[in-house]
Amino acid sequence: MRPESAIIVEPVARLIEELSKLPGIGPKTASRLTFFLLRAEEGQVQALAQALLAMKEQVHFCSRCFNITVAALCPICQDTNRDQSKICVVEEPLDVLAIERTAAYRGLYHVLHGHIAPLEGIYREHLKIDELLARVRSEPVDEVVLAMNPNTEGEATAFLLLRDLVPLGVRVTRPARGLPTGGDLEWADPETLGSAIHGRREL
Amino acid sequence: MHISQFSLRDFRNYQRIDLQLAPGITLFYGPNASGKTSLLEALFYLATTRSPRSRSDHDLVRWDALGEAGVLPFARVAAEVQRRMSHVRLEVLVQRRADEEGQLTNGAQKLVRVDKRPARALDLVGQLRVVLFTPVDLALVDGPPAERRRYIDITLSQLDPRYVRTLAQYQRIAQQRNSMLRAWRERRRPLRGIDDELAYWDQELSQAGGFLLAERLRAVAELNQIVGPLFCAISGETNPLQISYQASLELDDARTAHDLSQRLSEELRRLRQDEVARGQTLIGPHRDDMSFSVAGIDLGRYGSRGQQRSVTLALKLGEAELMQQRSGETPVLLLDDMLSELDTQRRTHLIAAIRRPAQQTLLTATDLGDFGAAFLAEITRMRVEGGQVYPG
Repeated sequence: MRPESAIIVEPVARLIEELSKLPGIGPKTASRLTFFLLRAEEGQVQALAQALLAMKEQVHFCSRCFNITVAALCPICQDTNRDQSKICVVEEPLDVLAIERTAAYRGLYHVLHGHIAPLEGIYREHLKIDELLARVRSEPVDEVVLAMNPNTEGEATAFLLLRDLVPLGVRVTRPARGLPTGGDLEWADPETLGSAIHGRREL
Repeated sequence: MHISQFSLRDFRNYQRIDLQLAPGITLFYGPNASGKTSLLEALFYLATTRSPRSRSDHDLVRWDALGEAGVLPFARVAAEVQRRMSHVRLEVLVQRRADEEGQLTNGAQKLVRVDKRPARALDLVGQLRVVLFTPVDLALVDGPPAERRRYIDITLSQLDPRYVRTLAQYQRIAQQRNSMLRAWRERRRPLRGIDDELAYWDQELSQAGGFLLAERLRAVAELNQIVGPLFCAISGETNPLQISYQASLELDDARTAHDLSQRLSEELRRLRQDEVARGQTLIGPHRDDMSFSVAGIDLGRYGSRGQQRSVTLALKLGEAELMQQRSGETPVLLLDDMLSELDTQRRTHLIAAIRRPAQQTLLTATDLGDFGAAFLAEITRMRVEGGQVYPG
């Protein structure tokens, strides 16, 4: 225990300790937040506490696609207007948001919750891979889009999925890799430019 | 190519210096520990984004560098490089990291700019090409294999952007693969899925490894053309120097990237049990070596000290020659306190080599007495003292 914690009253010290467990927040930031909340209006603190509890109580993983949701199924899985024949596989829930923002995809999703990374001890059994295969077997799926991150770990994950998916007789695709809109050809890194040239298409 | 302007800020013992450099030879002289080597280190760092002497980048930031209000301390190296047809401005910032309490940690981040545009560290490599020669390199012939791999990797990385990228990728794949093999060795994972789980990593390792191997073999063949006769001239021996690439696997005459990948992939499958027993990747460019021989005699084992020095000198000058042949531009030679390490004959040869026109050489020495008056008259001298550099 640090000497100053004897001077700070217990409830304040406890909040500082809890806040400093959060990522990106050290003891200094935690104290600043604590003293801000100490002076804040009762209503604001209530709202924050309730928001935290409600988030934890109500939010869980969608039983079908493992996206985050408050119901049994996430809003996307519930939406019967979406194309039920396509599943886009992503690493994290935030990737779903990124793809949704494009408004270019109207099918369903499947969130793996990570990628293969032996260095960090993450193997296929830690990901929602078997759940995906079960869905492909039981749902009317004709295309699976593998939208992993284009790095070594993402590629390793896609490689594994491809091998498991092909025997199921489903079409497997990957998003094209290419040049950013508004970018400058001259300044594109050779790898990206190379794969863009490689994946060029007929106009 | 040559460096026309060079500046440092809070790098090692330098607070701030700004130097104009000419093509030809520039000699930095001054007492020990005055910062001569740091000048060459900074340029090597700008060329390769690696320090030749320390493993952690935060060492490069001057120990009492303050940074500005709200900015963590950083070191900055920048240079203007003149090439035959163009010029480019290179800049690297190494900024120390702090923990949440604001205490400086041993971490540092690198920010790179090429012509004032942010770039990735990998994109900096090859913009400025240098050949560094320090007394540490004298262990190249009889030192550990890692030194010889480093020699060939640094040469090829500066010549071919694909080589740098593939090497970085290869190292990453080997790490991941090793951690899987370790898990199996320690029985932390069931062995039955092993072929399936390794399939991707084997494929990627073979592909990247095949490319690296093909490039190294090609470079060794080219170097042999250059270094063979160069060694005779330096040492006065009649038999040429022969470099042999010692691969960690049987190559069976495979020479192309495709065939070498194929070989690697076959061998990986064959070695499965050994690799699991040892918990590491046993073959590939990261386990290869090179040996040096004259008239069939291995100089790493049986060479005299003098012969080994001649080999190192031939390899370093050969490295510069290879860069010149492949790119059409002479690299900048950085010689750290080398002349005092060489005997008269080898020194004469080195001086003749750096006197060639269009060759920029930056060298350091503690004592001007190592040089003849004629030599001193035709070069630029800079005195280094107390973190400052003075002309003359």
